[in-house]
Amino acid sequence: MIAVWLSELVVFALVVAGILAERPAALAATGGALVAAAALLRFAPPLRTALAAGFARHRAAALAGGAVLALALPLALRASPYWTFVATLALLYVTIGQGLNLQIGTAGVINLAGAAFAGLGGYSVGLLTLSAGWPAWLALLMAPWIAVTVGAVLFVPILKTRGHYLALVTIAFGFIFNILMNNLEFTGGPQGLKNIPTLRLFGWAFTSKPALAGVELPAHANFYYAALLVAGLTTWALRRLHDSWLGLALNTLRDDEIAARCCGVSLTRGKLLAFSIGNLCIGLGGALYAVMVGFVSPPDFDFGYSLVMLSVVIIGGVDSIPGVVLGACLLLPLPERFRFLHEYRLLLYGAVIVVMLLYRPRGLWPAAVRRYR
Amino acid sequence: MPPLELLLQQALNGVMLGVMYALIAVGFTLFFGVLDVIHFSHGDIFMLGAFAGLSTLLGLAAVGLRAPVAALPLAFVAAILVTGLVGVLAERVCVKPLARSSPLMTLLATLSLGLVIRESVLIFYPRGADPKPFPQLLPQGGFEVGGVAIRYENLAILGIGLAAMVTVDLIIRRTRMGAAIRAVAQDPEAAQMMGVNLDRTVDATFFLGSGLAAVAGILSGLYYSEIHFIMGITGGVIGFSAAAIGGLGNVYGAIVGGLLFGVLQTTSAALIPRGSEFRDVVAFAVVMLFLIVRPRGILGEQSVERV
Amino acid sequence: MSAMTAPILETRRLTVRFGGLVALDGVDVAVGPGETLGVIGPNGSGKTTFFNALTGLYTPAAGEIVFGGRRVTGLEAHAIARLGIARTFQASRLCLALSVFDNILIGMHARRTTGLADSVVRRWRFRREMGAALERAAHLLALFSRELPGRGFEPVGQLPQIDRRRVEICRALAAGPTLLLLDEPSAGMNPEETAELMRDLQIVRAEMPGLSVIIIEHDMFVIEGVSGRVVAFNYGRKIAEGSFAAVAAHEEVRQAYLGTERARA
Repeated sequence: MIAVWLSELVVFALVVAGILAERPAALAATGGALVAAAALLRFAPPLRTALAAGFARHRAAALAGGAVLALALPLALRASPYWTFVATLALLYVTIGQGLNLQIGTAGVINLAGAAFAGLGGYSVGLLTLSAGWPAWLALLMAPWIAVTVGAVLFVPILKTRGHYLALVTIAFGFIFNILMNNLEFTGGPQGLKNIPTLRLFGWAFTSKPALAGVELPAHANFYYAALLVAGLTTWALRRLHDSWLGLALNTLRDDEIAARCCGVSLTRGKLLAFSIGNLCIGLGGALYAVMVGFVSPPDFDFGYSLVMLSVVIIGGVDSIPGVVLGACLLLPLPERFRFLHEYRLLLYGAVIVVMLLYRPRGLWPAAVRRYR
Repeated sequence: MPPLELLLQQALNGVMLGVMYALIAVGFTLFFGVLDVIHFSHGDIFMLGAFAGLSTLLGLAAVGLRAPVAALPLAFVAAILVTGLVGVLAERVCVKPLARSSPLMTLLATLSLGLVIRESVLIFYPRGADPKPFPQLLPQGGFEVGGVAIRYENLAILGIGLAAMVTVDLIIRRTRMGAAIRAVAQDPEAAQMMGVNLDRTVDATFFLGSGLAAVAGILSGLYYSEIHFIMGITGGVIGFSAAAIGGLGNVYGAIVGGLLFGVLQTTSAALIPRGSEFRDVVAFAVVMLFLIVRPRGILGEQSVERV
Repeated sequence: MSAMTAPILETRRLTVRFGGLVALDGVDVAVGPGETLGVIGPNGSGKTTFFNALTGLYTPAAGEIVFGGRRVTGLEAHAIARLGIARTFQASRLCLALSVFDNILIGMHARRTTGLADSVVRRWRFRREMGAALERAAHLLALFSRELPGRGFEPVGQLPQIDRRRVEICRALAAGPTLLLLDEPSAGMNPEETAELMRDLQIVRAEMPGLSVIIIEHDMFVIEGVSGRVVAFNYGRKIAEGSFAAVAAHEEVRQAYLGTERARA
């Protein structure tokens, strides 16, 4: 158990050091240490199996340790509001990625309009607060359901079209969403919606700086903890759904529709349920994003972001719940850390996905066999 | 209700846009025919063709060759070569190796490859983020028939587009390579047993389809007098839509689909209030409805799914 | 035969058309409880079409299907499956990437009693049900082979062909059906494997004596060994019915097979 916690702590320390290292030498040292640690695990199978066995045996302890470190992260990053923001963004992509993974990975329902559903969540929050005057927390609860409801226009295409054609329909849906947001007046056109009021819970405004254990944190830490809670809950719920009758039925529908139907699985119910639950998560991520940054505009939700969301799922591991977490936590922060790479960010995403699909199609953390625990 | 002349004018414009869309759509449909895949970076290859054409024209102008009669054909040849080679490379690297896995895989891989091509142009082309002016090389002016203005420029675009399509049709129907492409589209295994070299045929198909996209790219530059690195996204989605409307794998279907999409866009721009902003909404909505009602296209998909 | 007791399944003038082609032409077939009915006929005679119509994959153009006293014509495939018709496929339709247990558990999907809320918040209920389901899956596997239950959490793609066929039969049995449809289970098997398959079918018979079975087979040895009554199809019509010996001796059946023999030569 100590070994499990210790290894978690080492990874945490190296990641934090890697983020905060100012001088190139320090960055190179921490980066080197991370690579060395990964290489050690890769090329020392006994160590790897021992560690894996340790994590498997002390799962609860490992999860608790991970949770404590996740809670402590803003403390370590308190000097940098920017990095707190990036970490929050990664957590939002965990939520979004889990939803998208349920659709694409588990159920095989291709959705190339992830950004549009996140946008539906974000714009709903904006409209509900600015135009309808709702408090942010209520808008935040309502917005994902609006994404689900609007997503219902794709119900018929999902049932009637397959494969490539469904991909095309979802791309077209994303385009239509973007054109409408750009040209409709009540959504603010190209400028979008500005000054979305921030979250206020029990009199606590999310713009004020919280203090943890006597240490003052940047205001973004509020959203970090909110996003952590949401990402944690989503991951927990979707993992349980994945390891249940639903996950099994969706996997079977994905792999062999006819066999699934002849086993009594309803195609209609399975696909629509997966699509809607997925959109609920994606919409929630988008809604939280809108509240955090305080504005939404069409370019925040264009096709490119649908591809980024997709990359999280593919690089992490298709149909793999922990894979999505890993994918989001790697893909969002890495280009921010290497600013000189920022310009090449999308180019690299594209290249990495191609390489992954060719040589490691199941992702960095492949889906494991369902054990129904 | 707008006057008839306006509608006719828009329909004519639609046909011209449609020819460009059809050139892209034929590529989609050819690739689907031989490998049963959607080559999604095709839209970005179309964009690359436009940039290759522009670079050639700029290069020729720099050495003093400005006469359209000489410069334009050279630009077409150069752009076709560039896109043809990139198309074959794309196929070798990330289409064929994945063709046997699930369709989702090739879709994602080519989608990502398109991202790579797009970002490469953005980053490596000088000031790639800005729209680039495209030289006006076609004859200006025009005449009027019954209130409908016809510009020489548009006629030239139409003519070049149609010539490209006829050429491809001849290649497919009259040459040995064309026969091989048709054979592979029908049944790759049987074609191989009959002595068709599968790899070469697939390469040729990708060269041909990608070359057509280059023609479309240059025509689009000539028509809009401007090209931009993101034009491949819309171009790709429209080309794919047109191919899907026509029925994937069906070359004539792709042409019909392209024309339909063009006419749909321009007439909805004329008929709907603020139509020019919402024309793509209408067009894409029609495509979505269409795919629900006829999931296999107007002229039917070539491959048949078996229970 | 089952003339006395009410049949569990009965088709009346069952007809399936694809465009102009009549794939199944006015077929009357009845199966009694606990009976095994063999279906023979040359390739393309409509045997698999018959199964696809029974399981709701094809919608009949005319005629009706009565199962367990209920008219099921036109119901969706999953609804028919839930009423108690399970099947296997000629070309294996297992999900090769999923585990052996997953492939069998999906057969029990329709009989689950725990829902989404139980999966997420009242997990203990789900665990209890799933524990029993896993035990049942292991029990079904153990009927056929002593080592298979131990491989339950391996991907089914790692199993040899004969074991995959067993897993597919387990999946069908897991649904607790009253009628089992076997679509040419010996397809692609060598004589030893076919002999093992016959033993497996006898195990199924012994385990579930009340189960009605319809089996499509090309291997006459299997048909003779397992079925009490045989029907023969040709060009979508039922051309003969009766004991194996009677059907095999039937003039039209012999012609149907000789005809294809001659065409093949």
